[in-house]
Amino acid sequence: MKWPRMLHMSERWFRLLERLYPPDFRDEMGSALVEAYMDRARDALKNGGKIHLVTLWFRAPLDSLRNGLAERVHPAASWRRTGNWGRDIQVVRRRLVRAPVFAITTIATLTIGLGMFAVVYTAVKKILIDPMPYKNPADLYYVWRDYIPITDLKRGALAGTDITELQKKNSVIERAAGLQAFLGGIFSLREGDDPMEIAVTRTSPNLFDLLGIAPALGRGFAPDEVGPGREQVMVLTYHLWTRLGADPGIVGRDVRLQGRPFTVIGVLPKEFTFVRNDAAAPPQRVDAFIPFAVNLAETSPQQGTYVGIIRARRGTSPDVVAAAVGAVGRTVDARDFSSRGLKLYPVGLKADVISRIRPALVSLGAAGLVLLSMLVLNLASMLLARAAQREHEVAVSRALGANAIAIVRSTLLEGGLLGLVGGTFGALAAIWGTSALVALAPLDLPRREAISTDWGIAATVVAVGGLAAVLAATLPAAWAARTSLSSLLASSAVRGGGAQSRWRRGMVVAQVALSLVLLSSGALVVRSFQRLLRADPGFQADGVFTVRLRTPPEFFPKERDVIAFHDSVQNALARIPGVTGASATSALPLTATASQEVITIPGAPGNTGDAERDKVLTDIIGIRANYVEVMDMRLLAGRTFTEYRQNGVAEAIVDSAIARHFFPQGDAVGVSIPLGERSLRIVGVVDQARLYDVHANGRPQILVRPEDFGFRPLFFVMRTTRKPHSLLPDVRSAVRHIDPRVPVSDARTMEDIVEASLSPQSIGAALLSAFAVGALLLVAMGLSGVVSGSVTRRRHELAVRLALGADHSRVLRLVLKEGALLVMMGLSIGAPGIYISGRLIRGLLVAVSPSDPVTLLAAAASLLLVTMAACYVPARRTLGIKPAQLLRQE
Amino acid sequence: MDRDRGIDKYLPLRRVEFHILLSLAAGERHGYGVIQDIEARDETSVPDVGTMYRALARMVESGLIEAAARASASDTGDERRNYYRITSKGLRVARAEARRLEALMRAARVGGLLPKEVE
Repeated sequence: MKWPRMLHMSERWFRLLERLYPPDFRDEMGSALVEAYMDRARDALKNGGKIHLVTLWFRAPLDSLRNGLAERVHPAASWRRTGNWGRDIQVVRRRLVRAPVFAITTIATLTIGLGMFAVVYTAVKKILIDPMPYKNPADLYYVWRDYIPITDLKRGALAGTDITELQKKNSVIERAAGLQAFLGGIFSLREGDDPMEIAVTRTSPNLFDLLGIAPALGRGFAPDEVGPGREQVMVLTYHLWTRLGADPGIVGRDVRLQGRPFTVIGVLPKEFTFVRNDAAAPPQRVDAFIPFAVNLAETSPQQGTYVGIIRARRGTSPDVVAAAVGAVGRTVDARDFSSRGLKLYPVGLKADVISRIRPALVSLGAAGLVLLSMLVLNLASMLLARAAQREHEVAVSRALGANAIAIVRSTLLEGGLLGLVGGTFGALAAIWGTSALVALAPLDLPRREAISTDWGIAATVVAVGGLAAVLAATLPAAWAARTSLSSLLASSAVRGGGAQSRWRRGMVVAQVALSLVLLSSGALVVRSFQRLLRADPGFQADGVFTVRLRTPPEFFPKERDVIAFHDSVQNALARIPGVTGASATSALPLTATASQEVITIPGAPGNTGDAERDKVLTDIIGIRANYVEVMDMRLLAGRTFTEYRQNGVAEAIVDSAIARHFFPQGDAVGVSIPLGERSLRIVGVVDQARLYDVHANGRPQILVRPEDFGFRPLFFVMRTTRKPHSLLPDVRSAVRHIDPRVPVSDARTMEDIVEASLSPQSIGAALLSAFAVGALLLVAMGLSGVVSGSVTRRRHELAVRLALGADHSRVLRLVLKEGALLVMMGLSIGAPGIYISGRLIRGLLVAVSPSDPVTLLAAAASLLLVTMAACYVPARRTLGIKPAQLLRQE
Repeated sequence: MDRDRGIDKYLPLRRVEFHILLSLAAGERHGYGVIQDIEARDETSVPDVGTMYRALARMVESGLIEAAARASASDTGDERRNYYRITSKGLRVARAEARRLEALMRAARVGGLLPKEVE
């Protein structure tokens, strides 16, 4: 081989090896390095011939590998020590500072968008995803009675005997406990202290073991501390304990409940908050636990009064648990219901607790994701526009040898930096937003106390922001990497901006489609909420104030005393200045608390002869005289209850559903109907004051007098011309005057109650409409950016058109048409999405079909309107084009 | 000595670095030139080209040497070569290193590791 040829080969070899060094080192030292090797090679040939040269060939890669790697790990230059990333971050930061409007709008958009996302994410994570604060919470289940073949009740409480049956030795069910649905209690620390009302639940002694909760102070119930005649013991929740002054010496002290002494044996830990299950009544936080005073095995199997909780053996699958519970159910059915078809079924503890809020959360979560993808598209579009502005710079720097990776990196960095800043602000906004959400939320929002933004969530939001932004930046980055001088020269002739403008249009179309979905969902939910607000629940809520008074048998042993107390309270309340009427009920509307009874009316004209059809499960509600008037319910026939009670005659008012069912000819008034062993005389027919939902009738209702049925805790209602809550001191002093032992509790206005019953819908409506507005803003920004870019790009063409005689309005139309086309494309792509989202939000909609044409058309029209406005504003700039001047410049 | 504060942080120099300063103290060189100098010093192990150029880059960065403004040599007058010269700081560091080595030598003699008299 000739020497020059060998040298040539050597050079190619050394150049190849040079690549082992990092690029910036190569920029600076590469040529010199190769040249030094060549010098070596020449010397080697001169001094030792080919052998030496070949030795060098073998030594060189070792050298290059070692030093190339070392240089990468530990670069020589100081700025390289922070990496190219460091320098790029500086450059990007400087670039953003120089474009404050862009930086601020982008960060603001990201803050709002990510903030909303974070609020929803917090709610979804804390409520849907996070496990409940019990030991192995996945193994915990509520158990319900399904009465469907017997009567219309799908989710009934258990009988005490069911719980004993569940507690029997079983390979799947490890433990079972019962909770009495609810027991209000008049509580005082010492005899004669100011009484207060607390929520007490009676329970099986093993409840805390079952949940895996150890008391923070003292102990839990011993297995034998249950049943009749036992010593009275009580375990306090942390909440009540702090309300009582957080005295650690409370364990062992005697306190009073309903005037009877109880010994406090323990205080539960702070994180333990147990909320009454809403199947029994509206959720309410429990303040204290006491064990059952009865032996569960001796209770009536017919009476469903207990909430059952079981713990399955660790890791048992839900199907196996369902089968085991079902088997127990068959035993119960055969034993107590002569196999008429009663079933028992388990529901996971968490699934049960969140069942009411779940549809709202799932929809919100989906909406949050849609909004996030819009945010990504929007950011991508903005970054692309910005990259296009820098097209020239990019092309030149590419031509000067900057490598594609560097350009990609700086574009990604720009996006990532914006995303991180936006994410940080978004997380901060979420802290505020979440607390606002919790404040808005009613007390019974499941696991309300658990909702707050924590570090993990904040970190996730920042990371999501960063990732989303980097994702958004990939498109402009890819585009920038492809830009070259020749492509710039080729496109500058027409200034078409080729690929990037096509991409931006595509993104605008996608954004229009997504925002159509969000907007229509938002509109449907808001519309449904409006309907709910306007729904007539059968009473007038405004100006009604309510309180609850308990009259436990310990204080009022005789029924006569209770009635006398209620009479004096009703009279005293009616005399408070500003009160126009006072009455009382055993179950306030919309609180779902009534007791149920199956009624049959033998001989009623509406009977069909079909025994099943002629049985009606009804809510029995006690109301005192004047209630229909105070609540402003509608009397359809007959009269209401008056102060005068005829001895020996129990009166009833029925609702229109019962009247229609049994007396289709409208002759219900005056008829006597049986209820249990008693007979009731119907004196009137009313439209029901709805007990469950604002917008739909619940079970048929029979209204009776509490005096006849011995309802003890009553809700007193007052209609007032004053601000309702201002009545409370007057009510307190009136009651204290009559009997100082009875505390006034649960002071609420009827409006509060209506609001609380609408809460899942109101939260859904508020958040979804915020999302829809956010989406509208995003799409307007995106579209206006595209149109304005197009105006700038087509300035020349438009100027020519103007110069040739087209008038401004015609040119304006031309530009607008371009925007309108994109919007129409987006609308037609988004239309099927409405169908999908409609299915998702079905659970949130009340009285509105997910394909309600008026609402959907209105949503599409408003989207069209806003987007056209977003086109018009930048398009107006065409009016400012002065053809002569512009053409001369060009 | 005030001016030499901060010099200590460069000490001890790596062998290749001391060689570079030694060569450049005599005049401008390019990288291979320094290698040739080292070979001429009968050094047992001559640094590889890569090691040399990394050391040069590092020393430029820390201000011990600087790139020469012109490509001085005209023999193989190739513009691809980088020429370097020593800075005053580099000179001070080289001197300090030489003193350090000298002190070590003295200590070695006192300790009997080396023969007492200077050859």
